[in-house]
Amino acid sequence: MFRRVVSPFHRLDPRVKLLVSIEFFVLSLLVPTVPAIALILFAILLVSAVAKSLRRIGRTIAFSGFFAAFIFAVNFLFGLGLFNAILYSFRFLAIISSTSLFFVTTSPDELEQIMKWMRVPRDVVFAFVTAVRFIPVVMLDAFQIMDAQKSRGLEFEKGNVVKRVRNMVPILIPLVVNSVIRSGELAEAMESRAYGSTPKPTSLYVMRMRWYDVAVALAGLLLLFVLTLYIYHFVSFGV
Amino acid sequence: MTALSDVSLTVREGETVAIVGENGAGKTTLVRHANGLLKPTKGTVLVDGVDTRETTTATLSRKVGIAFQNPDHQLFSDSVENEVSFALRNFGFPQELISKRLDWALNFFGLEQYRKSSPLVLSGGEKKRLTLACILAWDPEVVVLDEPTVGQDSLQKEKLAQVFRMLQSTGKTIVIVSHDVEFLWPIQPRLLVMSGGKLVADGEISRIMEDRELLEGARVTQPQLLRLYSGLKSRPASPFLDVADARTWVGRGAG
Repeated sequence: MFRRVVSPFHRLDPRVKLLVSIEFFVLSLLVPTVPAIALILFAILLVSAVAKSLRRIGRTIAFSGFFAAFIFAVNFLFGLGLFNAILYSFRFLAIISSTSLFFVTTSPDELEQIMKWMRVPRDVVFAFVTAVRFIPVVMLDAFQIMDAQKSRGLEFEKGNVVKRVRNMVPILIPLVVNSVIRSGELAEAMESRAYGSTPKPTSLYVMRMRWYDVAVALAGLLLLFVLTLYIYHFVSFGV
Repeated sequence: MTALSDVSLTVREGETVAIVGENGAGKTTLVRHANGLLKPTKGTVLVDGVDTRETTTATLSRKVGIAFQNPDHQLFSDSVENEVSFALRNFGFPQELISKRLDWALNFFGLEQYRKSSPLVLSGGEKKRLTLACILAWDPEVVVLDEPTVGQDSLQKEKLAQVFRMLQSTGKTIVIVSHDVEFLWPIQPRLLVMSGGKLVADGEISRIMEDRELLEGARVTQPQLLRLYSGLKSRPASPFLDVADARTWVGRGAG
């Protein structure tokens, strides 16, 4: 989830931020050795630190740890070897954190700009960006609903797996109902504010590439190119 | 970030207490400590002598019923009767008692006709009455109402006032969080004024409501009957509690 922070990385054009995330993503898929993938992961964390988002990316990695452990276990148990198992689980973490880096540093407004630049249909852009914007609202709703149900004696942590799943019903139903009601109200509010009346509306924010955006983009592309060449010509696959 | 600081108070059994203050003053944060939804990071909250940090919200809720502001945050069952009996089942009430309490709650709140209906299709006022029915069905000793009059028309507010009078007559301890000073004034509760996370006043509503500077700081308005009373040259010993009293007095003066 995006949080407004002043950092050199946040100041970059959103297209450059997307490019950096894609570069990390691609490199995560290309590198064939454990030290290399560890270096990619370290580079992602370094950029996160520049973006003053190290703790948040760290939390993303921590939450993904369970799945990474699962990937490790499956690969190891199916005879792919210890180092390949480590490689694939690290690769998973690198992919997750490179994607997270983009979303944590890019505001919903910038997301909207990028999607428009990519010629995504306007209604799709609006639906996607609105969904992202409403994540914290829905989370707050969920906490308030949980409080209300706890106050009626509901205990989430008690009982077996089946009981705990059933205990989610008093949370999910009000949450879904409130979300549906809210979407309807939002649609009416948007119509009342002339949404859809113009085929090509103007935008309050306009993306503009500055010299440091171009510099970072070019440096990133050059690095990606050089590393890709290096991997294919000098590195043998496997560990 | 500190939401509450230096808040120290005791609510006695059978008392009616109203908490007022500006948005973000900490009113809802304070009352959420009453059933353990929030635990204090400093200090202690005791409910009937029990430290809220040493017991669960479910256990405390048996004694302290909180009716939240938004009914849509708790309604989920397929019928009104299931909605009301939800908490009774959670608290382990025997089936016979559940039926009795359910019948009482639906009759008292005028919801018997909606017994088999989905709670989601009720009107705003009906949903509000339903949430109160859900809380009072298990007969807690303390009833906390968070903004009970928000979005309610005058008829619903009058019904709510009747519920209040019933609760007071049965000796329940009542805590109301509200911006609606007109609703609170006739009830004459003990008044707590909160501002910026602190308790800035605690006492009789008639005394506190005369302190305009305090009220301005906490962004609370004076009730209209009190403003009328303060503006009269000749006035009775104590402020008017309802419009009829005021009309009689003013009419007598005009005559």
